[in-house]
Amino acid sequence: MKRFTALLLVCVLLMSMTFMGCGASETETASTETETETSTETETEEEVAPELNTETPVAEVTNDPDVKVINIWSFTDEVPKMIEKYKELHPDFPYEIKTTIIATTDGAYQPALDQALAGGGADAPDIFCAEAAFVLKYTKGDASQYAASYKDLGIDVDTLLVESEIAPYTVEIGTNPDGNLVGLGYQATGGAYIYRRSIAKDVWGTDDPAVIKDKIGPGWDKFYAAAAELKEKGYGIVSGDGDIWHAIENSSDKGWIEDGKLVIDPKREEFLDLSMKLKENGYHNDTRDWQDAWFADMKDAGAQKIFGFFGPAWLINYVMAGNSGGEQPGEGTYGDWAVCESPVGFFWGGTWVIANKDTKIKAAVGDIIEWITLDSSETGLQYYWANGTLYGEGGTKDTVASGTVMKKSDGTLSFLGGQDMFDVFVPAGESASGKNQTQYDETINTYFRDQVREYTAGNKSREDAIAAFKQNVADNLDVIVE
Amino acid sequence: MKRKGVNYAKYGYIFCIPFVLAFLVFSLYPTIYTAIIGFTDLKGLGKTDFQFLDNPFGNFELILNNPSFQKSLSNTFIIWILNFIPQILLALILTAWFTNNRRKIKGQGVFKVMFYMPNIITAATIAILFNSFFGYPMGPVNSLLQSLGIIDEPSNFLVQGWTAKGIVAFIQFWMWYGYTMIVLISGVLGMNPELFEASDIDGANGFQTFFFVTLPNLRTILIYTLITSLIGGLQMFDIPRLFLLGGPDNATLTTSVFIYNQAFSGSYMYNRASAASLLMFFIIAVLSGFVFYIMRDKHAAKLEKEIRIQQREFKKALKENKKMGRDV
Amino acid sequence: MDKTNSLPRRAYKFMIYIVCGFLVLLSIAPFWIMFINATRNTFEIQQSAIAFFPSDSLFDNLKILVGKSFNPIKGFTNSMIISGGVTICTVYFSSLTAYALVVYNWRFRQPFFTFIMVIMMIPAQVTSIGFYQFMYSIHMTNNFLPLILPAIAAPTTVFFMRQYLLATLSIDIVNSARIDGAGEFHIFNRIILPIMKPAIATQAIFAFVGSWNNLFMPLILLTDSDKYTMPIMVSLLRGDIYKTEFGTIYLGLSLTVLPLFIVYFMLSKYIIAGVALGGVKE
Repeated sequence: MKRFTALLLVCVLLMSMTFMGCGASETETASTETETETSTETETEEEVAPELNTETPVAEVTNDPDVKVINIWSFTDEVPKMIEKYKELHPDFPYEIKTTIIATTDGAYQPALDQALAGGGADAPDIFCAEAAFVLKYTKGDASQYAASYKDLGIDVDTLLVESEIAPYTVEIGTNPDGNLVGLGYQATGGAYIYRRSIAKDVWGTDDPAVIKDKIGPGWDKFYAAAAELKEKGYGIVSGDGDIWHAIENSSDKGWIEDGKLVIDPKREEFLDLSMKLKENGYHNDTRDWQDAWFADMKDAGAQKIFGFFGPAWLINYVMAGNSGGEQPGEGTYGDWAVCESPVGFFWGGTWVIANKDTKIKAAVGDIIEWITLDSSETGLQYYWANGTLYGEGGTKDTVASGTVMKKSDGTLSFLGGQDMFDVFVPAGESASGKNQTQYDETINTYFRDQVREYTAGNKSREDAIAAFKQNVADNLDVIVE
Repeated sequence: MKRKGVNYAKYGYIFCIPFVLAFLVFSLYPTIYTAIIGFTDLKGLGKTDFQFLDNPFGNFELILNNPSFQKSLSNTFIIWILNFIPQILLALILTAWFTNNRRKIKGQGVFKVMFYMPNIITAATIAILFNSFFGYPMGPVNSLLQSLGIIDEPSNFLVQGWTAKGIVAFIQFWMWYGYTMIVLISGVLGMNPELFEASDIDGANGFQTFFFVTLPNLRTILIYTLITSLIGGLQMFDIPRLFLLGGPDNATLTTSVFIYNQAFSGSYMYNRASAASLLMFFIIAVLSGFVFYIMRDKHAAKLEKEIRIQQREFKKALKENKKMGRDV
Repeated sequence: MDKTNSLPRRAYKFMIYIVCGFLVLLSIAPFWIMFINATRNTFEIQQSAIAFFPSDSLFDNLKILVGKSFNPIKGFTNSMIISGGVTICTVYFSSLTAYALVVYNWRFRQPFFTFIMVIMMIPAQVTSIGFYQFMYSIHMTNNFLPLILPAIAAPTTVFFMRQYLLATLSIDIVNSARIDGAGEFHIFNRIILPIMKPAIATQAIFAFVGSWNNLFMPLILLTDSDKYTMPIMVSLLRGDIYKTEFGTIYLGLSLTVLPLFIVYFMLSKYIIAGVALGGVKE
């Protein structure tokens, strides 16, 4: 035992001694790093502006002739496949595409990407993708120093943004603290309310989206009035409280963090009451999003039939259609759906495309990014994407960021009984806001929803739930909680 | 003999060189780095510059006063005890059954192989499957309990703190009892078979053999089992994190998940994470020292004597065996 | 002795079979569900992740799997190189180190053992940050060595081997070999290793399984698709939240676990039968 403790002590001493020397050298290298960083920044950036900076001129860009490879980092094969398509369409594109795909599983994508960005060199990414859950870290947050301004890539941002009518929330999210645009998405993930036609007819005598949208909104009061009406006939208005959460989260005025302090926006706090109301009155089946019972409600397999779901176009295409229990109208709930405006505007998910500011082939990177995010012509990516023709006819239709593209595209789906979903989703994208997002959202949302569940399950009082939520944030994040 | 031992001592050093080298090259820097940043202000993504805090133990004080950390510490112990006690008991019983020479269990080979299998599947898969099992309002467990008439309404098991703790403990138990059993059996298989033959001849029954021959001779392996499951249990990470993200209401938050959250859940507080790691390290070290102490002092003297006697007998047996071997 | 099959004795034995049978069911169930899910499509799985009877989407899943640049041959080869390397390094060098700790009487023997115990107790979550930062800074990414060589210093395995040797090894075996004029390395390789077979098999299984299923480190260190291991390939099937092909993932998981089965069943004969004191039998 004595030896054991003695050795422990020796170890600790040894460690502490080494760390004196080690720590000193660490600081040195780090300080030189920050110096170089700040110097490059001052060259390119201008005054801090709150809104999108329109004064910076578009840079003249060239490609380093020695570079033969373009590095793409992503977490799915979606964007890499687009770039391969780009190469196919532009046979003179001289670069070999090297893609690195790292799944977001276990949170591995971000550390690897961070290391690659910090490491630089020939293997550093030229273009990288970020998901809505963590994009803010790379556009506004801790890693925003790596993102190149689109203008520095030679993209005429100011003209193209207007020309292609990009949904404002994607621009808000993609703008760095200096007011320069550094990232844009190709999808628009503005959300709507997706409801059952047959239930609408049963309760209100019509399934017309124009009528239904006034029944369930605008605002949560009308939504709950509709819920009561539906309940009388034995229907639930949503499957679980997770369905309204996305709408509430993205329609709030403030994000979770302001000036380093935790802010609970009244609209978000209201989620406690709204969720309780759903539970107490049996307006939902009390499912949890992305779990078996939630999917089951899409084909009437739950305790009571569910009137609708909140979601963007991708929810219809990739989740609901497959879970409707059918493949054509008449089977399961397929074809018995319609979309109308959500009681509150919101967006959900999406992928942003960002360029590394150290890329040596700015012109080529700029061309690709422009093609993906800002090209509203019929040979731009978004036109293919909207009409599901990127890999040939008959692919999945999706809403895209450019309003211009949406207008000339056809969003009719048999799943929606022939309704053109773009009619609803284009305005939905316009009413969504990206201003209330922070890079901590994923974690804080988890804590909040955990405590809301405690409250609605009857384990805790409302005050205790809020107190526990605040405590969790204070304990796990570097955020001031009052 | 003794002098010879001294001559051979250099081989002790030589044989340890690969281990030491690999440790120095791959683990020393990360370990020291972790230890150091616990005393600094290093936080934030991609930052490498740091300064030592004026109060070198500032991070440690913060962590010790952190309610989530306190809760995670008690959770870790509760879950560990809930899973370890049944696990070691079952593993010992199975070992007794499968190493009993007289009561030949048919198909015991198959059983041994099967029991380790839950350890082959990845933790992520298991977490998903268990989540589905306890699904609410519909799920296999709920429908089963309802059809048996045990509950009337579906129960939302995964918002009940103790149920969630119990499930995590059960998953850990189920994933690791086979491992523990294999370790114990390999210890028994390594024993001199003549020990068992001797106890057979003395007329000992299965229980007596197990308690008076097998178990004492299994002591070193039992120490291994205790220590490793103590360390593994107090560093429990995969299942608590993947199953319910430490929820509901932090009921399955273990210290490793807490540490991970400090470092990776948004604020990148590497300094606090490593301070918490150091604290855990000391707790584990103290407890392991305690286990060594208990396991050693009680029986050491007696056992050493026994071992000496056994070895003498064994030597004799060995010689006879050798003779026989040569004869054949 | 009492070979009469009395009733309580038979009842006891019956109980053993019941318990073991139940545990076997518990062991097989997840694999069964996994294999079944490999034959179901995403939406069937989303409706209920647990099913006991196969569906008809196996070939569709296979098609998606191949389309997703999932290359089982390459993944298998890479995983095999890494896990095989790790296993060999772990068991051989751990046995060697443990042998040094048990047989030789050297000055730092006890402190060195304590040191090994200490490094076993270091929590891994945070040291992994230092490790991958270090590997990135010396440009050891996309290289198998940083995934294999650290296995040479496997404190847990050394600890096990030491405890095992303490319980089973008689120094006389070593001494008699020395009298026969064998060198120390020769004794270790030719006499001690065979004695340790059950222990080695056990630890080899643990090391192989652990390394085969290891995802996080390879995922961060191997970014070149030619170097991906099987679990990395499976993790890439996940995709976005809205586009996860669950049937394909389960198929990928099933394919990943098959080689493990083979290795496990190959080594398991040592768990089943045991090789009691090979040294004695010689």
